[in-house]
Amino acid sequence: MNPIFRWLDERVDLRGIKEQLLDRKMPGNLTWAHTLGSATLAVFIVQVVTGIVLAMYYAPSPDHAYESIRYLQDRVLSGAVLRGVHHWAASAMVVLVLAHMIRVFAMGAYKYPREINWLLGIVLLFLVLGFSFTGYLLPWDQKAYWATQVGTNIAGTTPFVGGFLVKLLRGGSQLGAATLTRFFALHVLLMPLLLFVVVLLHLAIVVRQGIASRTGALEEGAPPHTSDPEYPAYYKKAYAKSKGAGVRFYPDLTTKDMVVATAIILVLVLLARYVGAGLEPPADPTDNSYVPRPEWYFLPFFQLLKLVPGSMESLVAVGIPTVLVILLVALPFFDRSSTRAFSKRPIARYSLIFLLGSSALLLGASYAGEQPEVVAEAGRPLTNVERSGKAIFGAQQCGSCHAVAGKGGGGTTGAPNLSMVGLKHSGAWIHSFIENPLRFHPNSAMPSFGPPTISHQDIEELTRYLVTLRGPNGELTKPEFVDTFPMLIKSKEK
Amino acid sequence: MEASQVGRRRFLEMVSGIGAALSAVVVGFPVVRAFVSPTLASPPKDDWVKVADDTALLDVGAPIKLSFVVSEQDAWIESRTVKGVWLFSEDGQKFKAYSARCTHLGCAFVWDADAKNFLCPCHRGRFDLKTGAVLDGPPPRPLDELEVQIRESAVYVKYKEYRLGVPARIEA
Repeated sequence: MNPIFRWLDERVDLRGIKEQLLDRKMPGNLTWAHTLGSATLAVFIVQVVTGIVLAMYYAPSPDHAYESIRYLQDRVLSGAVLRGVHHWAASAMVVLVLAHMIRVFAMGAYKYPREINWLLGIVLLFLVLGFSFTGYLLPWDQKAYWATQVGTNIAGTTPFVGGFLVKLLRGGSQLGAATLTRFFALHVLLMPLLLFVVVLLHLAIVVRQGIASRTGALEEGAPPHTSDPEYPAYYKKAYAKSKGAGVRFYPDLTTKDMVVATAIILVLVLLARYVGAGLEPPADPTDNSYVPRPEWYFLPFFQLLKLVPGSMESLVAVGIPTVLVILLVALPFFDRSSTRAFSKRPIARYSLIFLLGSSALLLGASYAGEQPEVVAEAGRPLTNVERSGKAIFGAQQCGSCHAVAGKGGGGTTGAPNLSMVGLKHSGAWIHSFIENPLRFHPNSAMPSFGPPTISHQDIEELTRYLVTLRGPNGELTKPEFVDTFPMLIKSKEK
Repeated sequence: MEASQVGRRRFLEMVSGIGAALSAVVVGFPVVRAFVSPTLASPPKDDWVKVADDTALLDVGAPIKLSFVVSEQDAWIESRTVKGVWLFSEDGQKFKAYSARCTHLGCAFVWDADAKNFLCPCHRGRFDLKTGAVLDGPPPRPLDELEVQIRESAVYVKYKEYRLGVPARIEA
């Protein structure tokens, strides 16, 4: 025997630990679906390891958050891959936790004696969603900022406590610096600590109770209800019998676990390497045209919100998750039938099919209903000047008459759509026109915006923004100007 | 245990081991590489900084302190800081430049016009004007001399910072 092992064994009884942990007898015939829990754990470890190094290159302040992520992406060796792994593993966490939950639900493994672990699992599910929500904001790009606006606004629709919740989440009434530090603290301090403790409990209970056998082994000759007084004795006998196959935790089960975990991790690293994690332009709180999209696993829920009438929205937004939690928590106490096989539990089967089916339909509808992306701007991030021009466009209410990329416009003014104005007119023409439209069209309904209404500098910035509007192909389309200058201006230009 | 069972166990252990090692390597590689990245990336290149516009306007025989602004990239934060050099010329043709930080602990030293040498007020270190050698006090090495270039009568200095408090001149 290995001398180091023997030295340690004499002191801390390694053999005892090995016998209790590794040599544990397991039920035979466990499926590949039984590896989902350990796969989730493996991905969580990946998150911890990558998260620690990400935190070394992150500044939780609106001044520097975006720049620090850019620095990580562009300047730190393997920084982009590191962030990519963390990004994709975050999605994987949600998928794996849900898949694990569905497995436990379908195999009736939440039933006696595993009610506590089911409840802990629900806590873990919400912790993982909390990680996803708080982590989404941290890059402080457009997507992060606007998705968090929507997310915190939804919390604000909660009856009675909505206003309180919004302020609590944002650390103030507006989304800003205090929100970012708050989310950062939750994401890297509180939530990991909570998750760690709950995972430890979850695992300790799995070791104490053993993993649930295949459904058949716990059904033959079982009393009809798990609440029947003779059920615990029956369960004990049936479970012990199911462990007779001579399967050990190590290496029989761990190998399967390891194979699945490795495959998932390889996929994550490949996604990180070849797809990466996106980074949009920095958050711009003045940009009111940005359409935020939540992470894809929240899409079915958002699609549902779109379908309900406005007055019902807050009810559904808060009600559906609440009802879902109550149902999940009540499940092991409410469902006392000792039947475990999915095929013999029609209500469970139809509920799951309904839930998965409707989620899939909603997800599909969400993707189908997505407008073909109209690139309103040059197809690149706007420069500072162009952005301040865009802000002037908003401040001067240009959008109340002119439509840009399907937004604004309307009314009876007959003002032209500006979505492709950059293809039709040069900057010089646009500037002159905004200054005094009557010089160009004697009947123009547009008021003059020349000084003193707004300064020449502001008009120029506005113009610089407008010339970026070139329709769906952005700068790829070659403009063909149809400028006509009145004689007065022409002579001045010469 | 039968031989076939032993063989099966070996195989499973090997598969587990390969899986664990593979996972550790593919995740560990970017993690460790990003962690040690600052030690692998090469330091930013020094550029020549213009410290004076015209040599004709500079005093001859006595040192003068010149301050200039350099852009510093501190990870993701770009900042501008004021740096200084002492410039000295005996003939108005050849110039010597010393970093304006004392080699002991980085204090700004001054010109002691009476003693005709540099005096660091923090721990009373003294340096020779012409050679930068330590005359008195705790500084571990002479003043850090910087390369000087005259281009079209403007003075350029190759500004560098060295590690403080050690006898050897090691770039910081």
